[in-house]
Amino acid sequence: MASRSMFFRILWKLLGASRGRLAVALIALTSGAAICSALLNVNLDAERKLTQEFRTLGSNVVIAPPAGGGDAALADASVLDRIAALRLPRIVAAAPYLYVAANSGSQPVILAGTWFDQVAKMNSWWKLEGGWVSSRDDREHCLVGFTAARQLGLAPGSSVQLRSGDRAISLTVAGIVTTGGAEDNQILTNLDSAQALAGLSGRVSLVQLSVSGTPPEIVAVTRTLAENLPGLDVRPVRQIAAAEGTILGRIRGLIFWTIALILVLSMLGVLASMAALAMERRRDVGLMKALGGTVPRIMRLFLAEAGTLGAAGGLLGFLVGVVLARWIGERVFGVVISARLEVLPITIALTVGVALAGAFPLRLLGRVRPAEILRGE
Amino acid sequence: MAPLVQVEQLEKRFGEVRALDRVSFDVDAGEWIAIMGPSGSGKTTLINILGGLDHPSAGRVVVDGLDIGNLGERELTRYRADKIGFVFQQFHLVPYLTALENVMLAQYFHSITDEKEAAEALARVGLGDRLRHVPAELSGGEQQRVAIARALINQPKVILADEPTGNLDEANEAVVLKLLRDLHDAGHTILVVTHSHAIGNLADRRVELEHGRLARISVPSLAKE
Repeated sequence: MASRSMFFRILWKLLGASRGRLAVALIALTSGAAICSALLNVNLDAERKLTQEFRTLGSNVVIAPPAGGGDAALADASVLDRIAALRLPRIVAAAPYLYVAANSGSQPVILAGTWFDQVAKMNSWWKLEGGWVSSRDDREHCLVGFTAARQLGLAPGSSVQLRSGDRAISLTVAGIVTTGGAEDNQILTNLDSAQALAGLSGRVSLVQLSVSGTPPEIVAVTRTLAENLPGLDVRPVRQIAAAEGTILGRIRGLIFWTIALILVLSMLGVLASMAALAMERRRDVGLMKALGGTVPRIMRLFLAEAGTLGAAGGLLGFLVGVVLARWIGERVFGVVISARLEVLPITIALTVGVALAGAFPLRLLGRVRPAEILRGE
Repeated sequence: MAPLVQVEQLEKRFGEVRALDRVSFDVDAGEWIAIMGPSGSGKTTLINILGGLDHPSAGRVVVDGLDIGNLGERELTRYRADKIGFVFQQFHLVPYLTALENVMLAQYFHSITDEKEAAEALARVGLGDRLRHVPAELSGGEQQRVAIARALINQPKVILADEPTGNLDEANEAVVLKLLRDLHDAGHTILVVTHSHAIGNLADRRVELEHGRLARISVPSLAKE
């Protein structure tokens, strides 16, 4: 017990003895830890924020009847109730679609019946000229895809008559949408209207889902849906999932390598200070060995000194990093990035590791020969 | 009774240079030996080997029954902690530790620390009121007295002092010599490397070296007669 208290007494004195050099090492460690902490905070929060943002970029899971079933290739609209009943929090939006082959005058056109409120949630990036159809129950308005509008000569405010067999509906164009996808060739309207025109009440062609999360989390949701919706195909949209995965992977990789580089630079800073410190401490180590100090016992003191410095640098760096992460979040992602406590132990562990690696010159002190040091060589 | 220290045909070579050349002598427990000779005669090399800081090239050195030429690094470290008390010309105190902590440092590497015992050791060398002073706040004589307290704290078998008064003024030299004399009177075995004939005359015997060889062993009290 007395020896342990002496250990801490010497350690305390060591920390106070070379304040200048240790301050330089502490600055290097704190700077490195601050950037690590900021990037780790950004990584954790940005991943969450990015996956949320990805969910406004279109659906990433599609539920449809098995292909090649003719009229049977339509699902019962009750599938939407079954999806809702599963209460999966990762499902951001679910939009049913019923595709109907219709004619506007003599021109064939695809009419897609859907829920506009859900479509809006998962496609906020669509370019719109005119207005959106704000209500799911709006049976009077439609959106027209950019290409279809050109072919049919439609503009916001125009009326369009659609026929399918002996059924017809009349709609007013609320807006023209440019999506870069199949919707550019379609007219989108209320689901009930499309079902009425096709005479397919209570039927849908497919359901598009927007599921938030990382690729593995999306696969997990897909699996749950497939288990609970027998007779239907539940497929992730591979290209989107893969693209999201690639983006997240690249951001993660960039952050990982930046952290690695920063830690190496911090270690070099610590190494420079510790090399100078080691020269100052040669005489002390020679003396301690002459007094009967074993190399491990002496080295424990110096490594504890480096470790304490690392822990202090890690703690300070974490605090600075939280502020830095907030700033980066606002500047780069336009969001407030909150401090994540799980980053604290990681930052401290990394900084202590860097401090111990940077203390390598102090380890070389174990080779000091006391006879040479004590006679002043 | 076997001598406490036995040096037999001791040799130490640094490359081609023979720092010690077949030196032999014994020291009995409680003796005060002055190791004398001109610069480069091998005095410090001899004391370093006796203190386990250096290895002999040939010959045998037995201290308190331990043949230190056969000891490995770890055993030599233990030997230094258990059996030897060093006093250096340059004092060699740790500058950022107080006088008390410098003494406790020797306890720490020996076994366990005892602050009260360390304070008493400093009081015995007249530094009871300087416990919390760091070396920079002490005079040369006071620093050397801290070094003596540190050398004694673990009750070593042998005290090895290398020019203990070499850096001191006359007044402080007298204080340190009195301390050494008191230690000798208390039964401690002391080997002192010195250039000073005054100190040599206080010893029981003088071991004189020249060019690494034992030139003579003399008894100052007989020389005076």
